[in-house]
Amino acid sequence: MSFSGFRSLQLRLAVRLAILYVAAAAIAVGILVYQAYETAGSLNDRELDLRAEDLAHAMVAASAGQPRLDLPSKLAAAYAAAPEDDLFAIRDANGRVIAASPAEFGERVAKWPPAKSEPSYFRLSGVGPEEVGENYYGLNVALQTSAGPMWISVARTEGSDALVKSLLREFVFDTMWVIPLLMLATLGIGVVVIRNGLKPVREISQKAASIGPDATSVRLPEQSLPTEILPLVVSINRALDRLAKGFAVQREFTANAAHELRTPLAIVTSALETMDGDGELENLRTDVARMNRLVEQLLRVARLDAIALEFDTVDLNKVASSVVATMAPWAIAQHRTIAFVGSEQPVKVNANAHALEDALRNLVENAVLHTPCGTEVTVTVDCAGRIEVSDHGSGVPRKDRENIFKRFWRGPGERTEGAGLGLAIVSETMRAHRGGVSIADNADGGATFTLSFPSFPAGEAKASEAFAGGRA
Amino acid sequence: MRLLVVEDEPRISELIKAALERAEFIVDTVRVRADAREALANTPYDAAILDLGLPDGDGLDLLAELRPAGNHIPILILTARDAVEQRVLGLDAGADDYLVKPFAMSELIARTKALLRRPGAALGTTLRAGNIVFDTIGRDVSVAGVPLQLPRREGAILEHLLRRQGRVVPKSVLEEKLYGIDTELESNAVPVHVHHLRRKLQEARASAEIHTVRGIGYLLVETEA
Repeated sequence: MSFSGFRSLQLRLAVRLAILYVAAAAIAVGILVYQAYETAGSLNDRELDLRAEDLAHAMVAASAGQPRLDLPSKLAAAYAAAPEDDLFAIRDANGRVIAASPAEFGERVAKWPPAKSEPSYFRLSGVGPEEVGENYYGLNVALQTSAGPMWISVARTEGSDALVKSLLREFVFDTMWVIPLLMLATLGIGVVVIRNGLKPVREISQKAASIGPDATSVRLPEQSLPTEILPLVVSINRALDRLAKGFAVQREFTANAAHELRTPLAIVTSALETMDGDGELENLRTDVARMNRLVEQLLRVARLDAIALEFDTVDLNKVASSVVATMAPWAIAQHRTIAFVGSEQPVKVNANAHALEDALRNLVENAVLHTPCGTEVTVTVDCAGRIEVSDHGSGVPRKDRENIFKRFWRGPGERTEGAGLGLAIVSETMRAHRGGVSIADNADGGATFTLSFPSFPAGEAKASEAFAGGRA
Repeated sequence: MRLLVVEDEPRISELIKAALERAEFIVDTVRVRADAREALANTPYDAAILDLGLPDGDGLDLLAELRPAGNHIPILILTARDAVEQRVLGLDAGADDYLVKPFAMSELIARTKALLRRPGAALGTTLRAGNIVFDTIGRDVSVAGVPLQLPRREGAILEHLLRRQGRVVPKSVLEEKLYGIDTELESNAVPVHVHHLRRKLQEARASAEIHTVRGIGYLLVETEA
């Protein structure tokens, strides 16, 4: 039988157990019934044997050498009382009927082959006109009597053992209803035991659900586990160890590769700067600038992956104004402006200032690149612990909002500059702060990116907010 | 003007030297801290450019030796972005400015010049941006060679913007500068002065202009040719 349809181990065990119980109960009942009927049958046979022996004892040799049946009065009365129920016929070794009750049975028996010393049983029907339909069960046996060997046939109506059988039937069926009940009870206990037994497995699965690329250090608990499951869990933990190592190696590689690329890139950058040339040189400079940016971002991403950020109390006003001041010359060179709108009171959050500056820098960069020439990008800090960056660009299409924070994602038709890492850095930084980043539409069609922090319960959620902070 | 460059990566050191020499500085380069210590002890440099990661130790330790010993040579620190904490450490230890790698050579030269222009430093007299020339001693301003008359407060603002050319000067800093001149300062004094100054520079066809960074301050940027 295939259990592939049942995904639950508990269900599988319960079903198997149930099938086993049903089969066992059926076999037990079958054996019981069979045994009961067997007992009834053998009781019947024994009764017939006794009768045949009684008849044999009653045989006497008459004076003329003629054998004769001399039934004790009690037996004779018994046979006479129910001649249709209890039959007998005695033949001598020549097959001549010596005695029979009723005579009709004797006539029948006269035609039968000789009896053997081994008893043979037979069934018989329709002896006498009144008894048509009456069935008999009987015995043929050759016995030694004081009048020489005799062939004795005895029979009784099948109904005559009904009492025995009904007694047995009553016993069997009175007892049998207990068996399914017992089975049900056992099954119930079994299911409870299975449930309890599988509890550690459920707990492990909950623990396992929390394992991800950001939480590679989580291991499944190995204490108080059933020995059947322990090897599996130990193996899984070992596999997790190897995976975590692989992750670490990969992160380290990214960080190292990016780090090692910096110096040669810096050399190329400086060398290109000192060269005089035409437009082609300008293109080269742009290319190298892009490579520099990519390498810096790769480093940042690798660091966010690898290092647990150290947190401190940080004033969002300070972070935001510092980023705006740093980015302003660049924005002005792009013919855009940046403005900072701070809150009156310091807004203190628990954060890593450098990581936060990096994240905000990426958001501002993104906004400046998307806002039209001559317009302003506004960085706003509000007292609810949020930093908003709004631009006057074309906004972010709703369908892209989930993807925009993924690494290396770029919108269709987007300019090729940038690696698509900036917003991933923003999202991952905010996740490390247990905060989030959301996107909303501005009244004029531009986009507003909002960084929010958990120490401030989120204010009124805007209708079009799409939180990305919890996303992997 | 003689500069010391302490940088262990030979190619970068070479490129920095070349760039600074094009800006008409005399440049010595050393690769390790021990050589830097010796060079600084024997030669009166006007400024030093110091990379923090050196083969024989941290550049910060060198700073920590110099300042207590009374050596106030202007020092510009070169640091990688991932060593951001070091920037703070560097400034605490007595560095005058820092530059995050990778940097543009033009930025390095601008910052070096800014260091040398600081009060008491070598380039004390003339500040330039585009065709604007500001003589800090005579307090004379000229645009494209034509003298420009500026009230004292506007002159103070321009001087400070010139000193921090290309970088945002917070409004609060400008307010402090004005406070020294005028003890009764109205809340919108800085925006008003900047407004006048901007108009005068435009009228004089200056090739640098003052941008407002709303909520932060102002910056002076050379206009593109």
